[in-house]
Amino acid sequence: MSWIDTPAIAKLSDYLDLAAFRQTLIASNLANIDTPGYRTRDIDFEGEMRRAEERLGAEAAAPRAFEVAGLLERPDGNNVSLDRESMLLAQTQLQFRLGVEILRQEFQGISTAIKEGS
Amino acid sequence: MNLLGVLEISGSALTAERQRAEVLASNLANAQTTQTAKGGPYQRQLVVFGTRRAAPSTFAEALWGFSDRYAQGVEVKRVVADPTPPVKRFEPGHPDADSQGYVAYPAVNPIEELVNLMGAARSYELNVAAVQATKNMISQSFEILR
Repeated sequence: MSWIDTPAIAKLSDYLDLAAFRQTLIASNLANIDTPGYRTRDIDFEGEMRRAEERLGAEAAAPRAFEVAGLLERPDGNNVSLDRESMLLAQTQLQFRLGVEILRQEFQGISTAIKEGS
Repeated sequence: MNLLGVLEISGSALTAERQRAEVLASNLANAQTTQTAKGGPYQRQLVVFGTRRAAPSTFAEALWGFSDRYAQGVEVKRVVADPTPPVKRFEPGHPDADSQGYVAYPAVNPIEELVNLMGAARSYELNVAAVQATKNMISQSFEILR
């Protein structure tokens, strides 16, 4: 870890990676809303975040996606819930934005230090 | 993790839903067609959707080696003909009437097709919303560079 790589930056980049990964899954779920037999998939965001913290600095492991249980299944075997995915879409967007904003603050702090606060 | 690959997924859904709408529109247009190239009345067509891995030769793949095994798009696997027998209507003067005076019309229910068409349009909108969300995230990530 170099002096510019603060733990906060590493953590935030994990956070953004997870948000982007979840966006992939949400897009897949929405794309397959009319595919017979398709099962909704998601990640355990908090669990993955904790896992990322434990291996901080080590090589990144791919997050684990699983099939979501307990959703209402349609007769064609598809269980994508429009409400659930729309909510997650909005939530993930905001999470990503939050991560970007904090990361920017972090870099600005370093920049201020470099420029001696001027 | 890259967000441009997410656009590929939503894009595949836009293509698939548009194809579905095209097939539905063709069913509606041919609801009264009694003559086709292979003879007999028009047969109602149905699309079959299936999941699809992100295409291997896409832009995102070339740029970042995007081969996420969880990224699943959608595609129209095949278009099948509805085997429902044609509807017979008594029209003795019609050139396609059989010896008893019955004409075979396609088994197309316009209301059913319209409801499906609305479903396709809504799914299309839904995936457009997903594209917008992803686009916003991508342009926000440029903010880090400022």
